[in-house]
Amino acid sequence: MSAPNETRPQAAAARAGLSPAEAGYRPHYLANRWRNTLLTLAGLVVVAGILFLVDGTGGVKMQQVFALFAIWGIATVSLNLVNGVTGILSLGHHGFMLIGGYVTGLLILPTAARDNITASARSSLSDFAIGLSVENWMRAIGLEFLATPETHWVRFLIALFIGGLMAAVFGIIVGFPSLRLRGDYLAIVTFAFGEAIRLLASTPLMASFTNGALGFSGVPSEFGKSVWWTFGIMAIAVFVMSRLKYSSYGRALQGIREDEIAAEAMGVHTAYHKVLAFAISAFFAGVAGGLWVSWVGTARLDLFLFFLTFYFLVAISVGGTGSITGALIGTALVVWVRQYGDPLEESYALSTWLLALGCVLLVGALIAFLVRRHKRLKPVAGPLVWLPAGLGLLAVAFGLFGTGIEALQQTWQGFGMRAITLAILLIAIMILRPSGVMGRKEFSWAMLFRERLDEPTDEERSQDAWLTNAALAASLAGDDEESDDPEGEGVR
Amino acid sequence: MLYLYSVNPAFNSSFFAGAIVRSFQLGSLYALIALGYTMVYGIIRLINFAHGEVFMVGAFAAYFLFSLTPLALPVAIIVALVVTYGFMQILNFWRGRMTDPLVLAGGALAFITVTIALSSTTLGWLAAMVASMFVTGVLGVTIDRVAYRPLRGAPRNSMLITAIAVSFFLQNFGILAFSNRQTPFRPPSFWTGPLQFPVLGETVFTSWMVVLVPLVTAVLVVALTLFVTRTRLGKAMRATAQDAETARMMGVNVDRVIATTFLLGSMLAAAAAVMWGMTFGSINQPAIFGILPGIKAFAAAVIGGIGSLPGAVVGGVLLGFLENFLTALFPRTQDFAGITEYKDTFAFLAMILILLVRPSGIVGEDLSEKV
Repeated sequence: MSAPNETRPQAAAARAGLSPAEAGYRPHYLANRWRNTLLTLAGLVVVAGILFLVDGTGGVKMQQVFALFAIWGIATVSLNLVNGVTGILSLGHHGFMLIGGYVTGLLILPTAARDNITASARSSLSDFAIGLSVENWMRAIGLEFLATPETHWVRFLIALFIGGLMAAVFGIIVGFPSLRLRGDYLAIVTFAFGEAIRLLASTPLMASFTNGALGFSGVPSEFGKSVWWTFGIMAIAVFVMSRLKYSSYGRALQGIREDEIAAEAMGVHTAYHKVLAFAISAFFAGVAGGLWVSWVGTARLDLFLFFLTFYFLVAISVGGTGSITGALIGTALVVWVRQYGDPLEESYALSTWLLALGCVLLVGALIAFLVRRHKRLKPVAGPLVWLPAGLGLLAVAFGLFGTGIEALQQTWQGFGMRAITLAILLIAIMILRPSGVMGRKEFSWAMLFRERLDEPTDEERSQDAWLTNAALAASLAGDDEESDDPEGEGVR
Repeated sequence: MLYLYSVNPAFNSSFFAGAIVRSFQLGSLYALIALGYTMVYGIIRLINFAHGEVFMVGAFAAYFLFSLTPLALPVAIIVALVVTYGFMQILNFWRGRMTDPLVLAGGALAFITVTIALSSTTLGWLAAMVASMFVTGVLGVTIDRVAYRPLRGAPRNSMLITAIAVSFFLQNFGILAFSNRQTPFRPPSFWTGPLQFPVLGETVFTSWMVVLVPLVTAVLVVALTLFVTRTRLGKAMRATAQDAETARMMGVNVDRVIATTFLLGSMLAAAAAVMWGMTFGSINQPAIFGILPGIKAFAAAVIGGIGSLPGAVVGGVLLGFLENFLTALFPRTQDFAGITEYKDTFAFLAMILILLVRPSGIVGEDLSEKV
């Protein structure tokens, strides 16, 4: 077994007391290191330049869209840790965001807006809630300079951190059922958590803090709407997540995803790792929730409906479950549909809607046809093809030539069309390409230049003497025949 | 009970009698919805997230049926065509061929009946309920065909995410089609009228719905049980639930069995939806109407033991009792805010407790994971 390794340069270098780099050996992940570093720096400069342009000349709408992308990007990347990397389907992310959002919002709410929190019923509890503010705490511990308007951002970061920690505490609580429950049961429990936390937040007891269904407004929005703050925090989240994914913890989490029982048998402490994944994920979800409340400017219960988790789910499914890059790509798509999808929700004549419906049905029929042909199913045009095709043709015909029909000239407002679009997209992705755009891969420069990292480069080949030295290879092959052939088939 | 009466004179016999009948009423509704979850889970191990939304569509379909009829003839014909197609598909489960004379005759009969009924008469609650069960059943089968069947054999998480997407689609389709507002749901009916009966000298004030809902539920559950235990398709269903692969090898058309499961589950959900609307007099916004009943009924199915039909009924009724009695026994007083606001969380807490203590549920079989 050890014979081939002994002849490898790095082993020889190790015997001589040299590090692999000193011996001139470069592992494949260091190939083109300088080029990659330069490209990364250039990429960062380009991103910073784009942000600079958006911040300076992009207009309010564009800034909001970019900030929303970053905020939802944080949440998506954190959902990806649980759903994609660990393989636990968690549907309670809006609950974590709610906790982070309300805590952050309450802690940085300016004094002037505080009295409105519990206008309905003042009690000792609500007075306590009104007093909860990072500013007050800083005064109380004598850090007056942290209570001035100039250091508002420090207080915001503190509030954001505390919000994240509170969410992480709930993440640990939600993570505990994951020790007993598997798969879809756990999905339901997390979903129930997300719904229950909203119901609980509107109860009389918690209304002292949350002001019930009304929520509170006046949360400073200079952070949530600033591209620099949101992208900065997203960069931290992405950095942490990408380091985590390839650390030993990340490997353990991926092991749990692939086969929990096998991972446990290999010595992975599955309980600890699952709760850890929930805690980290909930922390970043809480941070995203804080930024989201700041982006909106108010903390309301209807900001934290299930649609948030659904959007993130669409994002990670489109991008590729388990891939951070994919999560960001998916977030970009979701934010684009949500923020620029207004034309979908305007009111059009029924004939226009019929035309659109017909086109969608025809495309669906075409896809079904192609899939059936690809799978060599007989008959190629089954009911799943001709039914939507026929209905689609009918709808198109009515849409085009139905101008004379009175009923088709009525207008119809397309409420909910954006969500319907995303839902159809998600179903289609799940059926047609479950691995999403990226699969489980991450973006890397090597990928961009189509370099294979799992095969040795030419440089490595030349360094691996036994690959090029025919005599050495032959002697190694001879070794193999004697030592590594338990069946004895190689020995004549 | 006597002890409770001594604590608070409001807990008298009429209080308990009223709470018991209302618990049975609510529990029956949960049980009907839970049956759909448990059947689908038993057969394809999928939590059909969209079931709550199927329930919602059932309520709205019935609403339009009893409030818009009689329809204009062209509209009635279009609806009748859709219904006929669905009916022929259902007959197809048994006959196996669309051109079978029985299927064609059934389709023609259905077309004529539905066209005449829709274009000439106002539907009462029962007709609306039956029609809505039908429409909703076809919707369930369609969902299975379009979204779930292409994913047979895919990872469980993929199927679950698809189910969530279908549920989200139906929610927003509800907003698009029915507009997002609370809708009054008052079909002309004797059963929604008031009912008073004496219990130990006290009078209980309630409505005839407390009689109707358990009655209809009992009829449907008995019919379902007979179907599952006495027919060939029911036998195939039980075989598929035990082991789909072996059932397929034994010649069971598994896809047809699954479609039947979706059909029956959705029909029960629609029946529950109509009675739900009649009980409460209104139905919620389509975006949220299905969520809470759906997830509570799922909790009921888990409490009873998912995959088991008696379990769903037991769990549903139990959940009805739990909700009504916990809120009734801790009423709002001067120095206590009451727990009415928390009642929606009981189902989740009970479900989590059951899952932690006895994951197979009260009557369910053992579901421990095999390596």
